[in-house]
Parts: sequence; C-alpha cells; structure tokens
Amino acid sequence: MTAAFSVSGLGKRYPHFELHDIDLALAEGEIMGLVGVNGAGKTTLLRILAGISSPDSGTVEVLGHSLPREQVAAKRQLGFASEDMRLYRKRSLRWHMDLIARAYPDWDESYAGILLKRFALRAEQLLDGFSHGQRVKALLLLNLARRPRLLLLDEPTTGLDPVARVEVLEALSDVLRDGDRSVVFSSHNTHDIEQLADTITFLHEGRMLASCDKESFIDRWRRMVCQGDWTPDLAHWPQIAALRRSGSVLELKIRDFSDDLAGRLKGQGLDVRTVHPMSLEDIFITTVRAGETA
Amino acid sequence: MNRFDINVPLVKLLVAKDWQLFEKQLALYVAGGIVALCLLGMAQRWSFYVGSLVLIIVLVSTACFAISNSLIVERKERTLAFVMSLPVTPMDFHVAKLIGNLVTFGVPFLIIAGGAIAVVLLTPLPDGLVVYGLLIFGYIFLAYCVSLSIATVVESEGWNTFAMISSMVLINPFMMVLGQIPSIADNISRDAVVWTTPAVAILAVQVVVGIGVLAYTTIAHCRKPTFY
Amino acid sequence: MQSNQRLHSMDNLRALAMLAGVFFHAALAYSPIAQAFFPTADRSNSAWVDLPIWFLHLFRMPLFFVVAGFFTALQVQRKGIGGMLRSRWVRVGIPFLLFLPIVHMAISADTLHAARTVAHPSPLLGFIRDLLAMGPLPSMPPGTGHLWFLYYLLLFCVLTWVARALGPGGLMARLAAVPPLWLLVGMPLIVLPSLAAMPVPHPAPESLLPQFWAIGYFGAFFLLGAVIQQHPLLIERMQRHVVWLLPASLVLYATFVWILDGSGRVATLSAGHLFLAFLEATISVWMTVACVALGRMLLERSNRVMRYLAGASYWIYLAHLPVLLAIQYRLMDLPWHWSAKLALSIVATLALCVLAFELLVQRTVLRRLVGTSRHDNSPEGLVGFAPP
Repeated sequence: MTAAFSVSGLGKRYPHFELHDIDLALAEGEIMGLVGVNGAGKTTLLRILAGISSPDSGTVEVLGHSLPREQVAAKRQLGFASEDMRLYRKRSLRWHMDLIARAYPDWDESYAGILLKRFALRAEQLLDGFSHGQRVKALLLLNLARRPRLLLLDEPTTGLDPVARVEVLEALSDVLRDGDRSVVFSSHNTHDIEQLADTITFLHEGRMLASCDKESFIDRWRRMVCQGDWTPDLAHWPQIAALRRSGSVLELKIRDFSDDLAGRLKGQGLDVRTVHPMSLEDIFITTVRAGETA
Repeated sequence: MNRFDINVPLVKLLVAKDWQLFEKQLALYVAGGIVALCLLGMAQRWSFYVGSLVLIIVLVSTACFAISNSLIVERKERTLAFVMSLPVTPMDFHVAKLIGNLVTFGVPFLIIAGGAIAVVLLTPLPDGLVVYGLLIFGYIFLAYCVSLSIATVVESEGWNTFAMISSMVLINPFMMVLGQIPSIADNISRDAVVWTTPAVAILAVQVVVGIGVLAYTTIAHCRKPTFY
Repeated sequence: MQSNQRLHSMDNLRALAMLAGVFFHAALAYSPIAQAFFPTADRSNSAWVDLPIWFLHLFRMPLFFVVAGFFTALQVQRKGIGGMLRSRWVRVGIPFLLFLPIVHMAISADTLHAARTVAHPSPLLGFIRDLLAMGPLPSMPPGTGHLWFLYYLLLFCVLTWVARALGPGGLMARLAAVPPLWLLVGMPLIVLPSLAAMPVPHPAPESLLPQFWAIGYFGAFFLLGAVIQQHPLLIERMQRHVVWLLPASLVLYATFVWILDGSGRVATLSAGHLFLAFLEATISVWMTVACVALGRMLLERSNRVMRYLAGASYWIYLAHLPVLLAIQYRLMDLPWHWSAKLALSIVATLALCVLAFELLVQRTVLRRLVGTSRHDNSPEGLVGFAPP
C-alpha cells in the first residue's frame, strides 16, 4: 500500500518551540488523528505536510512528492484547512468556489452542490454573515469538492459551540467515509479524534509520544483497581504508566496490557478488583504525564 | 522544480483575485484622478493648485492602498493562510503581488506622471517644473518601492503602517530640501528643462534604489523554499 | 429578437448622426457665425446656413452619445465589464492613438499649404498667413481635434466601470422609472450648468485634459443611452411626447436665434447667457429624445444602405474632416454660390470616404479596428465606434 505521507527524522526549530525528530507515516485511505495540547506541534507538522512550511531536518514525502521541492505538485492533490485560516469577508461562498475551481482542475461542481445542501450553506451569502460553524463548513466544502487525495485539517472543531461541533463532526464523518481519501486532522479534543480516526498520534512539546491504530490503542490500555500494598519494585514495571493510591486501594493505568498481568500482580501481593478499558482522553493524559516524568 | 519557475495560471488567478477584491477602492481612485485632471484642465490658477494637490493625494493613497490591501490586510484578516494553501510557491505569490501592485499603482502612477509632465510642457506653465515634478514623482516611486519591500518582508502591521506613512509624509521635507538646492530651485520658474548634476543624481538614486529594493526582496523570495 | 430590432434603430440613428456631422462640418464654411474660427470659411456665405446647423449642433453629438451609451451597456450585458473595456480599447483606444497624429498632420499640412496659396483666405487662414510672414509658427498646444468624441467615449467607458464598481445597485432602474415628463424637465436642468459654463454656441472639448462641462453634458446623454438599453420601455413611454417635442423645440430654437440675433456673441455669466444656455439644454434633451423615439417608431427596419452607412460611419467620422477641408480649401477661390460649394463638398467627401473605406479599411487590417464584418449582422459586425 502506498503512503499518503511519510516523514522521517523531521525537525523544525522556532525561537520558543522545536519539533523533534518525528518519524511518521500514513497509509492511503486512512484517517489519522493528531492529539496534543496547544503548542504540542500539531500545526507545525500539518503545515510541513501541507507544503507551507519547510523542515530544518529530515525528509518529507507527501503523495509521492518530495517536499518542499515538489510543493506545488503536492498541493494540487491536497486539501488544507486550519483553524486560523479565514476566507474573504466581503465575498460570497460562490466567489470562493469559483476561485478554487479555477485553481484545481479536479474541482467537482456537482459534489460541491451536494455539500452545499449537506452543510446547509447558501452559496450567494457573503462570508461576513457566516457564523463560525458555517465558516468551518465552508472551508471544508472548498477543500472536499476539490477531491483531494490527502486532506489536512488543523483543529477543525476548535471554537465551535456544542451544536455546531456535533454538526461539523457528523458532516465530516459522513463525507470522510465516502471515498478513499486520506485524512490527517488535529485536535486537542480526544473525543473528536476517537469518533473519526483510524490511527492516533500523540504529540507533546514537539515530540511524538505514540502512534498506532485506534483499536490497538484502546486495547493496550487498562485502568486497574487493586487492593494491597505498593512495593517499590512495581515502579520499574514498564506496563505501569501511572499510579494513584488511596489507603490500600491502588489505581493503576496500564500500557501494553496482557491477560497474565493480573496473575503477576497477585504475585506481588496486589489483588485486582476491577479492570476497565480507558478512554482516549485518559490514555492521552496518562501518556503525557508518563512522558513528562520519563 | 526550479525556484524561478512561475506557475503562470495561478499567478494570473491571484492577480485577478486581488483585482476583484480591490476593484471598488481602485475605481474610487480612478474617479479621483479624473476629477484632478479635470481641475487641471480648467486652466485656472486655483484649479491648477487644487488639481495638483488632488493628484498627489490620489497617487499617495493609491500607493498606500495597493500595499496595504494586497499584503497587510491579507495578513491581518488571516486570508493569507488560505492563499498559501493554494498550489503556489512563495515566489509565485511574490510575483503575483508584484504584478498586482504594478497594475494598481504602476499604471495610475505612469498615467498621472506622464499626464502631469505633458500638462507642464503643453501649457504656458514654466517648463522648468518638469525636472521638479519628475523628482517629486521619483520620490513617490522610491517611497512606494521601499514600503512595498518592507511590507513583503516584515510581518508586523505596526511597522508597515509606520514605514508607509513616514515615507509618504517625508515628501514635504523632501520638497523643502529640493527648494534649498539652488541648481534645482532656481530653474523651476525658467521656461526650459534644465538638468543639473544634483537633479540627475537625485533622480538616479531614486530610480536605482527603488528598483534595487524590489529586486532584493524578489531574490530573497527565490531563496525561501516555503512560506514559513 | 426585440433587442435586435432596437439595434436597427440605434444603428440607423448612428448613420444619420454621422451624415449630419458631415453636413455640419461642411456647412460651417458657409456660416457667418463660424467665419471667425473655421479654416475654410468662404467668401460666399449665408445666414440661412446658420439656421439649421446650430439647431443640429444642439443634438447631433448628444445623439451620438446616447447611441454610444446604448451599445456600451449592451456590451457590458453581453461580455461583462472587462470584455467591454477590452473591446473598447481595440475599437476606440487604438484608433484614437493611431489616427490622432495622422489626422493632425494631414490637416496641419493642408492648412499651411492653403494659407500660402489660397487667394481669398478665411480670417483664420489670413491670420496664419500673417504669422508665417513673421517667421516660424509658434507651437500650438495639441488637442484631440475632432477625435474628441473618441477621447470622451473612452473616458465614459472607464467611468462606466467606476460607476458599476462604486454605484448603488438599481440606479438604472430608478432612473428608468422616472416619469417621462419629469425626465424631459429634469434632464435639461442637469445639463444646464455645463452649457452655462460655455460660450454660445458651445465649442468642442478638444483639450487633451478632460473638461468638467463636457463630462456633465455628454455624460448625461451617454447615461441616458445606457438606461434606454437596460429599460427599453422608457423610450416607448417617450414616444407619445414626440408630437409636441419637435414643434416645441423649434419654437425654443426660434427664440434662441432671435436672442442670439446672428451675432453669436452674448457675454458669458449674464442673465441672457444663462437663458440661452437653458434654451440650448432644453432643445438638446428634447430633440435627442425625439430622435431616439422617432427612430424607434420609424427606423426599426434594417435597410441595406443605412446598414452600410452605419458600418462605414466610424471610418467616415475619422476621415471626413481632413478630406472635407482639403476639398473646401480648393473651392475657396472658385466664384461659386455657397450652396453649390456645400453640395459638392458633402458629396465629394462622402464619396471619397466610402471609396477609402472599401479600399483602405475593409480589405486591410484596419477592418478590425474601424471597419465592419461584411456578412455579419450581429452588433459586433455592424457597429462602428458607438458599438463594440
């Protein structure tokens, strides 16, 4: 299977921020969610993938094009929308659609018409009168109707009110499934990522903490509540990512969970009471904290 | 892909986009220019002064407007990110802005400058005004090139506004300085075009420096592999 | 098809206005009022010539501008504002720049030759002869000459863009909705200040710099043409007023002539001058409207001769003046009656211009600029300078 993108040894330095040595790839047709708090490096990574920013070190290949050298060829097959991207206020959505249609030969006018209806947007309305949610949908429309092979979305749901957020997510999940395009989208909201992504990548302070498909992510992590005494030996177990004590009750966050773990803990004097799968948010927070202490 | 390769259809598209965005203001300046020419055409002393003043105001505002709308506002309104996502290199973008500016400022500038010189030569006004007039137009050209280059390179809106306003406002002291140079000032009221060494030197500096800074920013953009 | 029918009347009006132009310029040579300034002013002249030509002078060019405004609006409708400006550049801008020096040089050379050789020179030729005797001629500020129409047409096309970019939407509709009587009363008042600023009869705005008065005066008619194109009902509503517009204009003109008293001189800024300007403005508007309305009633048919003349009118307009002056310089010393000279100069001018149209324009690259496509009945083919 060809890669939608692959980066290796990617680094980018800014005065107050640095992206460190990222190795990452996405198979075509997959949806990747980038999770990270503000300043984690999501935007920097997406800008590099979009051909807008160039790395200081490492190599970037997007849809078979080496960046930044072949940025124009790559950009022709890309869609990129970011949270800080604005459209022209005094112009209608129609005007923007015409502009994009002239810039991208693959523009699909009939699909644009379908998306207009799907997103309940009026093409002749000036962008000035659009709500934030409508602006995001307009940007999505402009990106989707150009039929990109790779869609890069930077924080598409940030700043939306709950209703608009759900609308955008529903619309996204509808349209993302109706083709074989690859998507990378970032969010600091893990629920959004959980809802849409096949593959999840954690970024924190410019480093990649983890990246794998959603099922194995969820599958590998567990929250275990045990009864017993904590022994210092346990601190060296690589599976235990976090520990919280309350009297003789211990709450463990487990990475790389395996069925024999309960038995091994019992051997250490811990009686496992409950084992629960963890939410992505919980996994993310645990990973970040474990990464920090590591 | 060579960095000097230009994506011509996209550059055209960007120029057309800017034209559509700024058409209204541009129309306003053209209307102002026509009013100024009509005032000059009344062949009255007062209308000549008012007309010249309106012409200079129109030129200076066109200069500021062209730079501000094409570069500064795009940054401020965050539509720049949208443009950068299109299949263009920083060089394409720079060339499109340069062409757009040449159209929005260059064309009115040349018409107005040429028209003003023609008026001086074809009417009873002393022909010595030609040199003085060309030096003033040369100054506006230089101020424009410098402001445009700064706006291309520097992202801060404050600095850009400062550069634009200060360079244009300095036209007054510049005119006063010209008045202090005897070989220029003394020839203004003569009915002959007299090119003295200081006049030629000032004009040459204006033209060379103006074109030089624009060329420098263009070369700087060739070196930039991407926008950021 | 209705718009094509209307096209015929506009084309026919253009051909007639062009013929009126040739007649007007030819007749100036035999007008006592024009004696002082027209280079071919003839010994044989008559006040009877003044009567029709100064009447014609008041609506001939306004009619041209109505036609031009009409076709400009049509072109904007069909090709968009950019398409209109591009085609105007080819059909008006380039011919203007190309023919201005040619016409200027041709007229200057022939006039200098006439000043040296004519036995009975006009006052202007005599003046030039005196100047020549004193030494080399002082340089004159160059102007647009009789090509001023093209200059203003270009200006109005640019202003059309300005108005569309800036103007409030629906302005045309609001203008078209004005009751005809209000328009017939209001429009003269709108053009009055322009005419009041000028001597009577108003000169041609031949300066290289635009003139406020000419923009105000001719621009109003250009706008009227554009409104008529957008709202054809307007001219149909005007038609029932034709019955009184013509006689009323003639009565006003009689008053105009009576006040002017053949002298052609009334001090500007006087009450008398203001009244004359008012008469001029009213006659201008009423006669122009009457011509357009009559054209709609009588000239809707496509006639081969008229279509040919309409097609050739741009070229004839460009070329007629140097040809006419060349003929009239040669008639100056002949002891003929003014009417014979007038008739001959008109017929010969038209004949030479049509011949040149066939030989120099229709068979050469000039056809794209100022000619017409032979088999094309579309407005693009038919139109000269007023249309595309």
